Amino acid sequence: MFTRGTLIYIAQRIVLIAFTVVAVSSIVFLGIHRLPGDALLSERLRGSAYQILLHHYGLDQPLYTQYWNFVVGVVTRGDLGESLVNRGLQITPLVLRELGVSAEVGGLALLFTIGLGMVLGVFAAMRQNTWLDYLLTTTSVVGYSMPNFVIAAFLILVFGIWLDNLTGGTFYYQLGGWRGDIGQLWLPAFALGFPYASIVARLTRASMLEVIRQDYIRTARAKGLRESTIIIRHALRNALIPVITILGPLVIGIITGSVVIENFFGIPGLGKEFAQSILNRDYAIVIGVFTMYAAMVGLANLLVDLAYVVIDPRIRY
Amino acid sequence: MATAAAVVAVRPIEPEQASLWSDAWRRLRRNRFALVASIYLLLLVAVALISTVWTPYRMSAVGITETYAPPTAAHLLGSDELGRDILSRLMVGAQVSLIVGVGTQILVLAVGVPIGLLAGYYRGWLDQIVTFIINVFYGIPDLLVAMILVFILGPSLRNIIIAIVATRWMDMARLVRGQAMSLREREFVEAGRAAGARPIKMLFGHILPNALGPIIVQATLGIPAAILFEAFLSFLGVGVQPPTPSWGSMANEGVMAIQYAPHMVIAPSIALSLTLMAFNFLGDGLRDALDPRSRR
Repeated sequence: MFTRGTLIYIAQRIVLIAFTVVAVSSIVFLGIHRLPGDALLSERLRGSAYQILLHHYGLDQPLYTQYWNFVVGVVTRGDLGESLVNRGLQITPLVLRELGVSAEVGGLALLFTIGLGMVLGVFAAMRQNTWLDYLLTTTSVVGYSMPNFVIAAFLILVFGIWLDNLTGGTFYYQLGGWRGDIGQLWLPAFALGFPYASIVARLTRASMLEVIRQDYIRTARAKGLRESTIIIRHALRNALIPVITILGPLVIGIITGSVVIENFFGIPGLGKEFAQSILNRDYAIVIGVFTMYAAMVGLANLLVDLAYVVIDPRIRY
Repeated sequence: MATAAAVVAVRPIEPEQASLWSDAWRRLRRNRFALVASIYLLLLVAVALISTVWTPYRMSAVGITETYAPPTAAHLLGSDELGRDILSRLMVGAQVSLIVGVGTQILVLAVGVPIGLLAGYYRGWLDQIVTFIINVFYGIPDLLVAMILVFILGPSLRNIIIAIVATRWMDMARLVRGQAMSLREREFVEAGRAAGARPIKMLFGHILPNALGPIIVQATLGIPAAILFEAFLSFLGVGVQPPTPSWGSMANEGVMAIQYAPHMVIAPSIALSLTLMAFNFLGDGLRDALDPRSRR
């Protein structure tokens, strides 16, 4: 499956990702540093305290020196610097810890998107032009037309408030489960994944419809295989290829959505940090989180491209 | 008898001549979802226009005695944390959403179409540069870039539109590039070239009109994407600034009060979802009408 060519390809891609990460964070670095004023302006410091802080952050140096130090720090030590608002807070460990939190919620959302989307898509294709198909195709437009915070608000209303009131305030806390109560992981993941699940469902339906008309499926039927075997083993594998093509955009979409959802549910992940740092004008963290995101998206896209090779043996790099 | 025959003779049954556009219009009208969506959108535009001259209350009029009031006859959709009338704010919010949605797409057309046409028609190094830039943009989460741009430029309606265009133009450029690339190989383009048509004439007179169908569909589907972006930005507090209401920031204020004033989050959520849905149904309908072969 993975030949020597594939390994060289992976190495090339990783070099390219590293290059993109540095380039993207440089643009953000230079863009933000062109803003008028400086990070400490709002603190109304006077005299030597101000000078000491400027020197501490290296802000008294010319821009190109600051930039050079930033790039060298990132490339050689993976050091993203220190928070400008919470003094002494190192950004790299902070961002790595938050990445774990975000990955847990985002990963569950992704599983959820693909799982639900594929099941609905297959069902719609199997029952093409019945009421079930029409219902599923119509609700999929409804699904991706609902912003994730609307879905989240709806979930909170139903699970957190209405059902809770109906049961006299015990319902929500009885729904504990894996890793905290449902509001900590399951509801955010659902709200995050749902809009994309409808896109996956549409795509799965369309590609299933194309695949099940092909000769090899007829052959499988003629051999007398069970319908479930035909669908799962034969049809779905080929129907998956177009679905995998949108995995890359899907990952980007979930990262984007997580900024909103993490703020909504107060999840201490990368997305919440990013939005809060923008509001706090803590641009050192903004640059750090953005660099992290650029690296993650690059790696995710690489994984998606490798998934093609696993699913479709005709593709080689 | 003779007269009757003459009447028949002067009125031969004309074969129904249907152009692409009248054909598309006929198909669009038959699509019930798209039809209902268009009616809703017309109403929304009307509401937005009316709200420039009249709203039930002033959208920033504060009412200390009626904070968080549930829907009543006086305030049809209730009032918010400052006692402001939610219906009035929703109406003004429609202006913001429509301006952002339509404004961005006009700019996206202005940027994406020429770039796509040039790259697809001339190929070569120009195409390579454009493709590279498009690919780089595809690899970055667009909302984050928009947030940083608004952060750098400062939050105002104009800058929000600029930020959304900066992260959204490449969808259009990629589409137009693909269209131009396939159209440039067609006979009528070659005929035009042989007849000595100037490049500008070729691009905008021959290639663009033939790519208009997919461009219209893409622009229509780009509107809800832009509206959603603005809602996200405003929800996070980096979008339209108070006192101007936006559906996104209204939903954010509503979430804070979700336990005791759920109407505050329900009203803007429904308005936003219905509008996005209407644009998506209209876009899907236009796709089916203008480009019947590419049914997804």
